[in-house]
Amino acid sequence: MPTSRFRATLVRVLAIQVVTLLLLWLVQLRYTP
Amino acid sequence: MHWINWVIVGVYLVFVVGDGLRRTRGTTNIEGYFLANRSLPWWAVGLSVMATHLSAVTLIGTTGQGATDGMRFVQFYFGLPIAMVILGVTIVPFLHGAKVYTAYEFLERRFDAKTRSLTSFLFLLSRGMSCGTIIAAPAVVFSAIFGWDLTWSVALIGVPTVLYTVLGGVQAVTWADVKQMVVIVGALVAILVVLIVRMPVPLDDALRIAGATGRLQVFDFSFNLTETYTFWSGILGGTFLMLSYMGTDQSQVQRYLTAKSVDEARSSLLMSAYWKIPLQALVLLVGVLVFLFYVFQPPPLLYNPAHEQQVIAAEPAAYRALQERYASAVEARDVAALAAADARDANDATGQGAASDGSPAGGTTTSGSMTAGSMSALDVFNARDADVIAVREEALAQAERVTGESSRDVNYVIPRFVLDNLPLGFAGLFLAAVLAAAMSSIAAELNSLSTATVVDFYKRWAKPEASDAHYLRVSKISTAIWGLLACFVATYAATLGSLIEVVNRFGSFFYGSILGVFMLAMIGRARALGAFVGLLCGMAAVAAVSFGAPQISFLWHNVIGAVTVVAVGLVLSAGVRSKDAAAS
Repeated sequence: MPTSRFRATLVRVLAIQVVTLLLLWLVQLRYTP
Repeated sequence: MHWINWVIVGVYLVFVVGDGLRRTRGTTNIEGYFLANRSLPWWAVGLSVMATHLSAVTLIGTTGQGATDGMRFVQFYFGLPIAMVILGVTIVPFLHGAKVYTAYEFLERRFDAKTRSLTSFLFLLSRGMSCGTIIAAPAVVFSAIFGWDLTWSVALIGVPTVLYTVLGGVQAVTWADVKQMVVIVGALVAILVVLIVRMPVPLDDALRIAGATGRLQVFDFSFNLTETYTFWSGILGGTFLMLSYMGTDQSQVQRYLTAKSVDEARSSLLMSAYWKIPLQALVLLVGVLVFLFYVFQPPPLLYNPAHEQQVIAAEPAAYRALQERYASAVEARDVAALAAADARDANDATGQGAASDGSPAGGTTTSGSMTAGSMSALDVFNARDADVIAVREEALAQAERVTGESSRDVNYVIPRFVLDNLPLGFAGLFLAAVLAAAMSSIAAELNSLSTATVVDFYKRWAKPEASDAHYLRVSKISTAIWGLLACFVATYAATLGSLIEVVNRFGSFFYGSILGVFMLAMIGRARALGAFVGLLCGMAAVAAVSFGAPQISFLWHNVIGAVTVVAVGLVLSAGVRSKDAAAS
């Protein structure tokens, strides 16, 4: 995989993971006293 | 269970086996049987990877864990997306480019035959046993729920799976996985919708009650080596575990070796990177909602019906007394839950905090924020919930005393909920999903066990020169033998319990170590001697940590194993290189 494509894939995967974790964190913040 | 549910299960079984048999056509050589002639599209391979990873234990045990322990288990998967990306640029192109049948075959090309044979043997040993436990876990639950003999439950799961795996090879396995993933996700979403629709209070209030019990606490940022589910063990330990599992375990490697090209193989792994954490969160959320469902509906004291019957027969008066205490504790919790929901509604309506008895508790609020009133109502709820848990623990201890078995009641929470409470047809759909989850994992295991047996041992050591037809026949026989062995282990899982535990523990010693060997394979300076001795040292190091410091969570064992193998391997390889240089 060329470096640029790998970097783009890595960024995409990390971005989706950050969004997922952020959502889970918001759920925790909202509902856990 | 209603006959319509059985019809749904029957239709599913006939469809999966029938389609598997249809795929037997065209499989005339060993590459077709084991690797589908490297022709499958990325999305089918990606779904197959996910289906293999998702076993019946996930549907039954993990949902139960969500109900009893909450969402924090999802941290276990935080390393998976990182591992998928790393594999995409390292092991996947190496293995796909080498045109190998097994991951271990690659190690012979890079190092030597003994490293290949040892790693393949370790895979066969651990996976052969674990395949039996994958069948046993749902079979034991089916037997307890439906009152069947364990042999019949094992046969219901094992026979159709062995049939389509033996006859259809990897084509049947992969295309069955695709359908099975659809059934599994469909069943989970259907149950989620029913749970939300049937919740007697608004979902936001219900989730607040779950949050008060700590079930929506996803993250634990403490750096604690003895705690399995923390953010750091998930990110670091989880990455190494997933690198080992997805990168070096033949049952996973074989999935993406069937892809058309390196790019399609990478894309199939990225599907897991995108969807695994949301899927796992969905599974756990279903469990949390089942907990909430039972906050407002009387739950069984013991979820395992077989244990319940034995306890009633052995100690009827004591159990009845517990049931009465349980009923009043549950009723008090129900009242506290409704009060907690009302307190929040009152807060939202007036903008004022109100205590659970309706008296003002002071403090202004905005919608969605916690107030003193709703907090105290939640505290009351937590106290009532603790009473319920205390009575249940007494019942579980009684069940363990009477039956002489570990209760494992958590595995019966979801099946009992589905059978007792869902609308007609949903129980059949759920049962089909559990069968699908079990069958998809077992089929992939059997297929990969047979591949390693035939390619790494039979073809390598016993009969190197034979016709493709001969190897195909041997492959089918080998798959059938592994299938029978798995069913045998599953049937006698209870009596083989300690043996299975030993094998599983032994398996955990070498997972990270095998990853270390593959990491060495990608370092040009590494030599065969370094890899082989490094592997042995890695396993010894993990065994030493496992026995010497058992409090360290198993997720760190893979890190220790892999790092030891690479360190020892590189040092020894440097010695070998300097010796070679001196000799020349």
